[in-house]
Amino acid sequence: MKKCYRRLTAALCSAALLCPGTFNLTAGADDPAQTYNYDLWDEAVPSQAGYIAERSVSGTDLGIKGFDEPSDIFCDGETFYIADTKNDRIVTADADFTSAGKVYTSFTMPDGSATALSKPRGVFVSQYTGYIYIADSENDRVLIAEKDGMVVSEIRRPDSELYTAPTFKPQKILADKAGNVYVVLGNITTGAAMFAPDGSFAGFYGANRVQPTSERLGSFFKNLFLTEEKKSRKARNVPTGITSFDIDGDFIFTCTSSSSQQTDTVKKLNAAGRNIFAYYSATFGDYTPVYDSTRNIAFSPSITDIDISEDGCINCLDYTTGRIFQYDEECNLLFITGARSNQLGGFTSAAAVESRGERLYVVDSVKDTVTVFRETSFGAAVHRATSLYNDGCYEEALEPWYEVLRRDGNYRRANIGVASALLRKGDYKGAMKYAKRGGSPDIYNEAFEGWRREFIKRNFAYITAGITALAALLIFRRRRRRRLSAAEKDTGKEEAPT
Amino acid sequence: MMDLSERQWVKHAVTHPVEGFEDMRWKRSGSLKIAFLIVILLFFGQIFHSRLYGFQFGMPPEKTFNVVPYLVKSVVVFAAWTAGNWAVCTLLDGEGTARNICIYSAYALVPYIVQLYINVVLSHILIQDEAVFMDAVSLIGTGWSVVLMFSAVRTVHQYTPGKTVLAIALTIAAMLVMLFLLVLFLSLIQQIWVFISSVYTEITYRIRT
Repeated sequence: MKKCYRRLTAALCSAALLCPGTFNLTAGADDPAQTYNYDLWDEAVPSQAGYIAERSVSGTDLGIKGFDEPSDIFCDGETFYIADTKNDRIVTADADFTSAGKVYTSFTMPDGSATALSKPRGVFVSQYTGYIYIADSENDRVLIAEKDGMVVSEIRRPDSELYTAPTFKPQKILADKAGNVYVVLGNITTGAAMFAPDGSFAGFYGANRVQPTSERLGSFFKNLFLTEEKKSRKARNVPTGITSFDIDGDFIFTCTSSSSQQTDTVKKLNAAGRNIFAYYSATFGDYTPVYDSTRNIAFSPSITDIDISEDGCINCLDYTTGRIFQYDEECNLLFITGARSNQLGGFTSAAAVESRGERLYVVDSVKDTVTVFRETSFGAAVHRATSLYNDGCYEEALEPWYEVLRRDGNYRRANIGVASALLRKGDYKGAMKYAKRGGSPDIYNEAFEGWRREFIKRNFAYITAGITALAALLIFRRRRRRRLSAAEKDTGKEEAPT
Repeated sequence: MMDLSERQWVKHAVTHPVEGFEDMRWKRSGSLKIAFLIVILLFFGQIFHSRLYGFQFGMPPEKTFNVVPYLVKSVVVFAAWTAGNWAVCTLLDGEGTARNICIYSAYALVPYIVQLYINVVLSHILIQDEAVFMDAVSLIGTGWSVVLMFSAVRTVHQYTPGKTVLAIALTIAAMLVMLFLLVLFLSLIQQIWVFISSVYTEITYRIRT
C-alpha cells in the first residue's frame, strides 16, 4: 500500500513537471521574470534566462533630481541620453550608467536667446553629424542642437499641402547617415515625417498597412451602397501609426504598439520605405495572448519600443507584459526577459529600450527608473553562436551551439545550428538527428539526400544483388505457376472424356 | 467460370473497374469481414501517413497524438457514407442492401489505402525534389478509388450513370445532414447534462443544510 502511494506521488510529480503551460519555474527566487521560449509547436516551454536584471537606476542614483516620466533613452556608444519628459530636460549619463553628466534644460538659439524644452519625448544623437535631435513635443518642434547646447536648427509644423494634420507633436526622432530627420508624430497614421537635412518637409515614410480582415472586406462592400453622409459617420479604416523606431546602418526598424493589429507590428524598412520583413513568417511578441484571470482580459502584445543592438539583434519591448523579446537579424526569437511586476526586473509601464554591449537598458515611465539587464553566460553563448551562424560560419558556430544545448536542450535554434554545421561537415546522420529536433524539414532533406547517396555508394553491391535476386524470384514463380496451370489444364482435358 | 476465393474477388473487383463489381454481384460474392479489415487498414494507413511520414516532407502536424481525428476520418466517415448511401438509395429505388453497400464501398477504397502505404514508404526513400513521384502515386490511387466508388454505387443499386452521380451527391448531402444532427444532438445532451448536474448540486446543498 505504501509502495503504491509512493508510486502515485511520483507519477503526479512527473505529470506536474511535464504538463505544459502550467510551468512556474523561474530562473531565480529574486527574478520575477518567467524565462521561456517557444518550441516547435509554438508552445511556451521553460528556458534559460538570456538576460538578468542587474540593478535599477533612478535619477537620484545618478546624483541628480529623480526622473519624472522618462520616455526615451538613447546611447551613442559612450554617453546615454534620457528624455526626462515631465522634468523638461535631457539627462546624460556615463557609459557605466553610474553618474549623470550634462543635464540639458535649455538651449541657446543662434540669435543668442535661450529656449527651454517642454515635455521632450524623444532623443537621438547622430554619429555622423554629432548633433542631438530632440522631439520637443509640447513646443511642437524638433530641436537640433550641438552637444554644447547651441541650437543648429529647429523644425516646426511643415507648411506643405501634403501635411494636413493640424497638430505637430513629435514623439520619437532619429536621423540617418545623410542627415535626413525622421519624426514619429502623435496622431499621424501615415508614417514618420521625413525632413531633408535643410529642414524642409520631404514627405512621409514607412506607413503601416491596414490589416486585411473580413470586417474590412465587408465594410468595403457596404461602402458601395452608403451615402457620403453615412460614410463620414462610420469608423474610418486607418492603419495604426508608428510608435517607435530605430536605425541600424541603412535600415530603419519601426514598431507599432497597437494590440489589435497583427500585420506590420515590426518592420525593417530600406531607404525606399519597403518592408523587408514583409515576407518573413515571423510573429513578434507572445504567440498566444497572455490571459489575466483576475481581470478576465487577454492581452495582445503591444510593442512600444524597438532597438537594434550593435550585433544586429532586435529588441522589442512589449508594454502589456513588460517583456523584452529579443530576435536575431533573421527574426528568430532568442530570449524573452522581463515581466510586469514591482520587483527588480519587472516593469509597470515600460517605455523605451536601449542596448549597449552586453547590457540592456529599459526605461519605466511610472517607476521613473532605468533597469539595467546584464547578459548571462547562456545569453553570451547564444549571441556568439547566432552571430557566427548568421555570418555563414556554420562550422565555427558548432561549439557555441553545443554549449547552448548543454544548458538548454529545448533551445530550437541551437538544434538547427548544430544540424547546419554537421551538414556542412558531412556528418549526415548527425545532421538528420538535429534537424529533426530543430524542426527543419529543409535541412533534414539536404542531410537525407547526402545520407542516401552515401548509403547507396556503400551498399551498392548488396542493393544490386537484392534487386537481381528479387527479379529472378518473380520470374521463377511466374514460370512455375504457368507450368502448374498448364498441367492442370492437361489433366482437366484428360479427365473430361471419362 | 469465376470460381474465385473471397481474397481473389477483392483483386478482381479492384483490377476491373468497369465489370469487376458486376461479376461480384452476379456471383453473390463479397465478404463483410474483408470489408471491415479494409476499413481498419484505412484507419492505420491514415495514422501512418500522418505520423510516420518522412521528416523531409514536413513535421508531424501536432505535438501529442490524438486518435479521435483519425477514427473520425476513417471509420466514422465510412460508416456515415454507408448509412447515408443506404438511406438515399432506398428512396431512389436502389437494389443494394446495407451489407452490400458496405462491402462494395470498402473494396473501392483499396487503391486509396494502398496509395497511403506506398507513399509512407516512399517518403523515407525520396527527397523533396522527387516528391512528384509521390504526387503521381497519390493521384493515381485516389483517382482509381473514385472510379471504383462510382462503379460500386452504380452496380450495387443497378443505376444508370446519371442516377449514380445524383445518388453520390445526395449521399454527401446526407452525410452533412448527419453531421448537423450529431452536433445538435450533442449540444442538447450537454444542456440536459448541465441541467441534471445543477439539480443534483442544488439537492446536495439542501441536504447538507
